[in-house]
Amino acid sequence: MSTGAKKRILREYAECQNDPLPGVKINFDEQNMTKWEILMDGPDQSVYAGGHYKLEINFPNEYPFKPPVVSFKTKIYHPNVSNDDKGSMCLGLLRPEEWKPPNKVISVLHLIRNLLIEPNPDDAIELSIANDYKTNRAEFDKTAKDWVKRYAK
Amino acid sequence: MSQPATESQPPPAQPSGHRDMMFCHECHDEWYRDEHGLTCPECGSDFTEIIEEGNDPRDQHMLDHDHDMDDDSSLPDLEAISPAMRPLFAAMHANQSPHQHDHTHDDPEEPDISSLQFRQVGPGRFSVTGTVFRTVSPPGGGGPPQAARAPNAGSGPFGGLTAILTNLIHGGIAGPQNPTQPAQGSQDHQPGQGGQMDEGAGSQPQAGVPGGAPQVHRFTYTAGARLAPRDPNNPGPRLEPVDELNNVLVGLMAAFGEPPDHHHHEHFHGPPPPINPLIQLFAQMLPGSGQFGDAVYSQEALDRIITQLMEQNASSNAPGPASQKDIDSLPRRKVGVEDLGSEGHAECSICMDEVNVGEEVAELPCHHWFHHACIAAWLGEHDTCPHCRKGITKKNDAPANENSRNQAGSGEGAQASTSIPSMPGAFVTGEGSSENPYVISGSPPAHPHNEDGSGNNGSTTRTDAAGAEDSSAGGGIGERLRRGLFGPPR
Repeated sequence: MSTGAKKRILREYAECQNDPLPGVKINFDEQNMTKWEILMDGPDQSVYAGGHYKLEINFPNEYPFKPPVVSFKTKIYHPNVSNDDKGSMCLGLLRPEEWKPPNKVISVLHLIRNLLIEPNPDDAIELSIANDYKTNRAEFDKTAKDWVKRYAK
Repeated sequence: MSQPATESQPPPAQPSGHRDMMFCHECHDEWYRDEHGLTCPECGSDFTEIIEEGNDPRDQHMLDHDHDMDDDSSLPDLEAISPAMRPLFAAMHANQSPHQHDHTHDDPEEPDISSLQFRQVGPGRFSVTGTVFRTVSPPGGGGPPQAARAPNAGSGPFGGLTAILTNLIHGGIAGPQNPTQPAQGSQDHQPGQGGQMDEGAGSQPQAGVPGGAPQVHRFTYTAGARLAPRDPNNPGPRLEPVDELNNVLVGLMAAFGEPPDHHHHEHFHGPPPPINPLIQLFAQMLPGSGQFGDAVYSQEALDRIITQLMEQNASSNAPGPASQKDIDSLPRRKVGVEDLGSEGHAECSICMDEVNVGEEVAELPCHHWFHHACIAAWLGEHDTCPHCRKGITKKNDAPANENSRNQAGSGEGAQASTSIPSMPGAFVTGEGSSENPYVISGSPPAHPHNEDGSGNNGSTTRTDAAGAEDSSAGGGIGERLRRGLFGPPR
């Protein structure tokens, strides 16, 4: 990873610290700055309220020319987060073909947080959860809250 | 699918497309009978033979060697049988012809499939029923009688197979769940007529093939397959065992040739099956490559093709690189006071380093500017402005779509990707959300372009959202393929 990229990551971390998102904490390790650990609270207005989610943001060597990789370490019932041990999330600006260098981690964090508030079932990884969300919202809410209790406390 | 070319089937002079090919045992010359007659035009020898399917003296020349080498493993063949017994065996051949599958259709153009049916017989079960007409002409005689020709010479085995495979792959892409039961084949043989044996070649295994026709083979094949979509609930690496298709094919192929461990082995003489080019062909593609032309029969082959498609498509999914020449010739200019944002400073939005007045930057045709090194690294991979996605390549008064399509060279996906500035979900928090307009001072302020990054706040991204809606459902064919086939992205 180039020094330019490292510099940029440092800058971005500083920016995130200066302008913190509500309920978002970043564990930053200067020794390994390409891997951020994020602690995100389920937004109050969402079904994930009360949940505490651990995420990882990994910066590829090509950053900022390639998007960072986001993964949920805490299990979450969400159409846009893969329901496996990876907990991967790949949509919107995180898509390799959508990513552009001026995008910033803080926009990524915004994206994640907004997706918790409002999932995007049309760009889902988990089709059945998306279907649940679209056609049986009550059931979706119930399961999601159940998972919050079970996995995200 | 192309059929393997065989020398023995030149352009059709008769409706059946058959011309007699002659072979000289003396000088190994080959010629058409209707051109030079029965005597060898090369050496004048009379020791010649008509090459027929199922009776190809050229094969025997080769087989002689193979056969001798692993003779201990082979069952007694005609050579070991006393001459007095031969007529008896010949009769058995004619009536039973248990081994004719592997010999009667050396020429894959010859076997004619009159019908192949693929149908689902119940949930998760399907069966394939086929009726195969095989035509064998009596060696030493003239051409095969016209009447003996199978009625449906048009569709070769590959036509039928292709149909089956298409069905299998389309219908059963979810992959058979149960182990398939290959080749529950039952075969009915109608004895051929005119089972003459050419004594000259009678000592060779192949010559035992009876002539006459038609012979009808029927086989059924039953296997289980889960014809249901993949469970999206488990997007992990779990791949459906599409490999089972191999078994399906083995079963199908068993009907065309001798099944590897089928009852035919108990009969005399077993020169190894690979005589049959059809079997050879499928044997080649089954375990190993699993690919033949545009059809695939294994997961690996499918993966390979998808990968290939994605590689071909990658450049169109994300616009291709700009040429080095165009990158080098980007105009440079000094940062002026007017470039500074409202807060009085500006930065290159790629490295996020602050730039000062007087510093040299490279300006794109869309008037966005960056450090030259920074933008060169990006343009070397994508001919788009990081802010507004306009390409830098000249002759691009056309919209960015057109441009990137030209760059991509292959097209289809380019429009999709370039016309989606952001996926739904992205525009909310994307580069231009009203909550967090990322385009700060790094972008030249107040340029007339309405696609300009600095103008790209919440309201203008909305206009893109409509376009994003429909294409986002797709998200580019490569992406859809990838997600459909390999599960969710990492």
